Amino acid sequence: MSSSSSSQSPASRSVSVDPDATLDVSVTINGDTHQLVIEPRRSLADVIREDVGLTGTHLGCEHGVCGACTVMVNGEPSRACLMLAVQADGADITTIEGLANDDGSMHPIQQAMHEAMSFQCAFCSPGFLMSTVALLRDNPSPSTDEIREELSGNLCRCTGYQSIVDGVETAVSLINSGGAA
Amino acid sequence: MKNPPFTYHRPTTVDEALALLAEFGDDGKVLAGGQSLLPVMALRLGSPEHIIDIGSIDELATITVGDGVTIGAMVRHAEAEKSADIASQAPLIAAAMPYVGHRAIRSRGTVVGSIAHADGAAEMPAVCLATGATMSIASADGTREVAAADFFQGFFTTALEANELLTAVHFPAWSPTAGGSVVEIARRHGDYAMCGLACSIDVPNGTITEAALSFFSVAGQPIRVAEAEQALIGKPATESSFADAATVVAEHLDPTGDIHATANYRRQLATVLTRRGLAEAASRIGVPA
Amino acid sequence: MTDTQDRQRSGLGFVGQRVKRVEDERFLRGAGTYVADVQPDGVLHAAFLRSPYPHATINSINVNKASRLDGVAKVFTGAELNDVTNPFLPFFMLEGLYTPLYKCMSDDKVRHVGDVVALVVAESRYIAEDALELIDVDYTELPSIASIDDALTPGRVQLWDKANGNVLGDIDASYGNVDEIFAKADHVITRTLDCPRQTNQPMETRGTVVEVDPQTGHLDIHNTSQAPHMLKWATAALLVNEGGFKNLGKFVKNAERRSAFLGAAKSFVTTNKEKLKASDPAGQKSQFEKDKSMVKHQMRMASGLLAADDYPTVKAVDIGGAFGSKGPVTREDIAVAAAAKQLGRSVQWIEDRVENLQDGGQAREERFDVSIAVDADGTLRGMKVDAYLDQGAYPAFPISSAIIPQLWKLYMPGPYNFEAFELNTKVLATNKGRVVPYRGPWANETFMRERMLDIVAGELGMSPADLRAKNVMREGSMPDAFITGPSIDETMSVAKTLDRALEMIDFDQLEEDKAAAEARGHKLGLGIASYHEAAPGPPNFFSSAQPGSDMFLYEDGRAEVEADGSIKMYTSQSPHGQSHQTTYMQVAADELGVPMEDVEIVWGNTDRTQFSFLGTGGSRGGPLGAGVMRMTAREVRNQVVEVAADMLEAASGDIEIVDGNIHVAGVPAKGITYADVAAKVATDKRISSGAVFSEEMKYEGVGNGGWSVATHVAWVDIDLETGMVEIPRYLVVEDCGPIINPGVVDGQVRGGVAQGIGAVFYEKHHYDDNANLLSATYMDYLIPTAMEIPEIDIEHMETLTSGENDARGTGEGGMIGAPAALTNAVSDALGVEVHEQYLPPYRLLELAGVITPD
Repeated sequence: MSSSSSSQSPASRSVSVDPDATLDVSVTINGDTHQLVIEPRRSLADVIREDVGLTGTHLGCEHGVCGACTVMVNGEPSRACLMLAVQADGADITTIEGLANDDGSMHPIQQAMHEAMSFQCAFCSPGFLMSTVALLRDNPSPSTDEIREELSGNLCRCTGYQSIVDGVETAVSLINSGGAA
Repeated sequence: MKNPPFTYHRPTTVDEALALLAEFGDDGKVLAGGQSLLPVMALRLGSPEHIIDIGSIDELATITVGDGVTIGAMVRHAEAEKSADIASQAPLIAAAMPYVGHRAIRSRGTVVGSIAHADGAAEMPAVCLATGATMSIASADGTREVAAADFFQGFFTTALEANELLTAVHFPAWSPTAGGSVVEIARRHGDYAMCGLACSIDVPNGTITEAALSFFSVAGQPIRVAEAEQALIGKPATESSFADAATVVAEHLDPTGDIHATANYRRQLATVLTRRGLAEAASRIGVPA
Repeated sequence: MTDTQDRQRSGLGFVGQRVKRVEDERFLRGAGTYVADVQPDGVLHAAFLRSPYPHATINSINVNKASRLDGVAKVFTGAELNDVTNPFLPFFMLEGLYTPLYKCMSDDKVRHVGDVVALVVAESRYIAEDALELIDVDYTELPSIASIDDALTPGRVQLWDKANGNVLGDIDASYGNVDEIFAKADHVITRTLDCPRQTNQPMETRGTVVEVDPQTGHLDIHNTSQAPHMLKWATAALLVNEGGFKNLGKFVKNAERRSAFLGAAKSFVTTNKEKLKASDPAGQKSQFEKDKSMVKHQMRMASGLLAADDYPTVKAVDIGGAFGSKGPVTREDIAVAAAAKQLGRSVQWIEDRVENLQDGGQAREERFDVSIAVDADGTLRGMKVDAYLDQGAYPAFPISSAIIPQLWKLYMPGPYNFEAFELNTKVLATNKGRVVPYRGPWANETFMRERMLDIVAGELGMSPADLRAKNVMREGSMPDAFITGPSIDETMSVAKTLDRALEMIDFDQLEEDKAAAEARGHKLGLGIASYHEAAPGPPNFFSSAQPGSDMFLYEDGRAEVEADGSIKMYTSQSPHGQSHQTTYMQVAADELGVPMEDVEIVWGNTDRTQFSFLGTGGSRGGPLGAGVMRMTAREVRNQVVEVAADMLEAASGDIEIVDGNIHVAGVPAKGITYADVAAKVATDKRISSGAVFSEEMKYEGVGNGGWSVATHVAWVDIDLETGMVEIPRYLVVEDCGPIINPGVVDGQVRGGVAQGIGAVFYEKHHYDDNANLLSATYMDYLIPTAMEIPEIDIEHMETLTSGENDARGTGEGGMIGAPAALTNAVSDALGVEVHEQYLPPYRLLELAGVITPD
């Protein structure tokens, strides 16, 4: 008999918090650790936007379909509208604001989306960018079909997607030609 | 669309969780991955007074191999997707994974959570029913095991009592001569299916000795069509056997209609998926169809 | 031709280039300013209590429990907000049309699921939603009007007491001798075509953040509006809550306001003399016959506006898409502003997706009973249409969906030589969400006509391509005007796009592909659709629909060079994805001879930009919006050159400006800059900041055409076992004239086609037989994803005219052509006549005869 376990628990301490009370939560967002005091019912998306002030993560549907709120939680793309902030206690989160290189220049994926004129109103763009980060990390040379499948969890109403797919393909060549991801 | 207020509990052991469920019963709701529960709450279709977040209970986040495979309540879809043990021991779960929502949903949602949620349109309950999975259920009073066939009882309804936690689901050992598949037709990629099928056939020596046809998104719960399964037994794994089974499926399945699919359309899909699903299952074990 | 045109057409300069978007610098870093990102200190959050019933009377409402909830600032009942606001008055009036007056909240009756009944203002949206659950409303349910058939049935429950039944509009138009043409034609082919309800669904919902200045009471309204000035004035007018005479007295005593008003009025009357004379009072009469209370409300609003000390400022920075839905001023906009004003506190309302699906804007539920008169040789003779338009409960403000038949009557015969045409439209009230403009609001006429052409071709045994080619207006025999009125010039180039599209289709290959599909148990078909749209259209376009209706359709703009040399271009457009900032920088930079980054585009703030009725809408941002940027920039350049010529001691004709270097031709080394010239003027005139050069303009466009045209071709593959569809190829051959930025145009075309694909195969806003909303979340209203939308090939034609600024709009066209091309392809594939626009998989299998309907 063999057993595998992924240790992923945010906290080892049991807690119970009343509806009106708050919980101290520590999250690292884009490398900065924030000590937050939050009501348990608040979504991770609201806390990122309102308490941390990072409004680049957008809320399009708040029921997990549109993908605009996608952020990386411990390296995995997740819907920030479908997580309580308290579930992110101890987590390492990356949002669109955390993508740029240290010198302020755009991440190759941002640069590629710019080259490809990927977006229009761009309200959906944070989700697409984070989904693309996850895709290219695990599959550095995806086929067009793989790109389309992976991005199908994000809705865009402006572009018809072709320019976004082009953006991902441009990112692949940028990254493969030496632009560090 | 903001969550209603609740008292939040984050136990770190199963016993603590069970004590909380014993205390709050109907007023409590277990939060695992949250990908089904949180939309329901945001829409205020449900307002549990107590949320019991089992995300910090490490002992539930395990995949255990032994006479099949046992998946703990905090194993996320993404982990199941990557697990070689699940791929070999419960190939239907692996086959279903690409259909479960989208990647960002799979990275949070749990296999067992999907089973406990018991959406008749979801893949996991149908897979449980097809494979004869066993539910490990715990409460402060003890543990019990319930067969999948007895667990799913209708529209979002299961054998789980209010004070109980579905701690794990055991999928029995997969016969080396069995092939299985999960096939479905959805409006858009990643949507709940308009009709889907989790199926398997065991073909140890040229003829089918066991068959499972478990349909989802045809009713409030997954449905097995025993008459069609029976029709396959003793037959060769050929296109013509599968077509005959599909005819039996059409005769016995009585699906519901909704805005995305009429009942007649679902019946049509069920017959097509029977043929396609069985052919794919056969091809997995190299049986000429 | 001017230098600019030469540069543009030879590929020099910025215009015509695929210049990458300036907007990306903020958007791709998550640094945009969308309305929900505006979070003033201490802002309160609003949530609306909405009706769960399609139709009901409100007997009583109890907000006591909700008001006592911790964190609730105030619960407003509908009556409380209605007491301090005016009703939405009909602005758009037509003979035969009644537009009901309605207030910002419902206090006696609810008319659709999602109708607004109470407003909670609280410390957070969470608490506000908690409070909603504590409000008790006692309703008595009424029967509901759920469909076009319901609305047409006499004796049913009525939505509006003052209407005759639920037919609010009965509007006729007729051109040519219809009876004679129909009597003489060889065939009359009659069908009924149906279009389902859709919803615009921008990824950003509506929102408004009303900031109240605690000292002055001034309102700063951050809003998702496509038309910020309309919102400003509508808010000012609807928040007037004092009687008429008192205000009139106040106005009379205010000399400054009086003279400002009289000046503006005089200028308006002078500018629009002819248009005012032409305008027909029949629409007003129709309205007054039904509801005389309008006069009283108009008086009150007008006097209130005149007397007001202050008007709101509307600010729209970044908007997350709209597709027409954010053009109208909505009840929520007014209710939230009224609440903020009452409380003296800033209030934010961000619509959620469920609210947006309920009443954020719906469209296109229409039916057409159409007859086409045609000769045996395929010559199209006449068209007669009875159309039915399901307006939903509350007419959009200021322009209701009754504008749609006005556009239909101009567009419906399409780019073909029909000799006679007649249209009757009934505008119907139903218990559903509000109909708003949706990308090509009239687009179903193209679906109807182009679908009918395929049906006619089938009846005559002709190919659809041949029928179109035979009847399309062609150079050489092109009339000067449509039979419906608007003039025609060389921009009516549909025939060119059709011919090119037909060249690009390999019909032999198509037959092979059809056979191959058949062998796989699939069916493959091809569909063609052509259309023209006024983008912006000729000067007589709107007056052809309704004399005088073009009074507010100028595009205003301003160019300024400030004392420090900085260049600012002010537009009244309200961009929401169309890349105005980039394209206007391209246009202005080319005129001014400066690098693009030297030009700042100013938009969205009503204190800084000029009045515009429409804001962004109607495919006008390219031709008119960019046009006025070009014309004002050119004037300012001329002003700068005059001064520079003095400074350089040269004739102004010898001055060149290249890359910001202003110099005498041939001596770039001795150049000066905009900053130098501006500093000189600033010093001379003793100005320390602000504009030293300025040019403001009202612009109506040029030429007698302004038509944007295209032919779409769709290839559709249907799995006959499952009804699942693939689109192996989609081709758009379009002609929007000279392109400012191909990257932007391609994006607009593809985005429009994607919405058309959605309309046919995925999107239907479902109401049940009792008008309950079934597609109430994104699980059920299906916006296509990257897996469903194929690559879309685009061929540009770029017909040039003798005028300049002849770029034509292209924002709407993709959506106009796609439903027709796709349904024609389905019809071709299955070999059956398709009479409906929405074709989900089950319906395709029904049409194919594989399954029967339940």
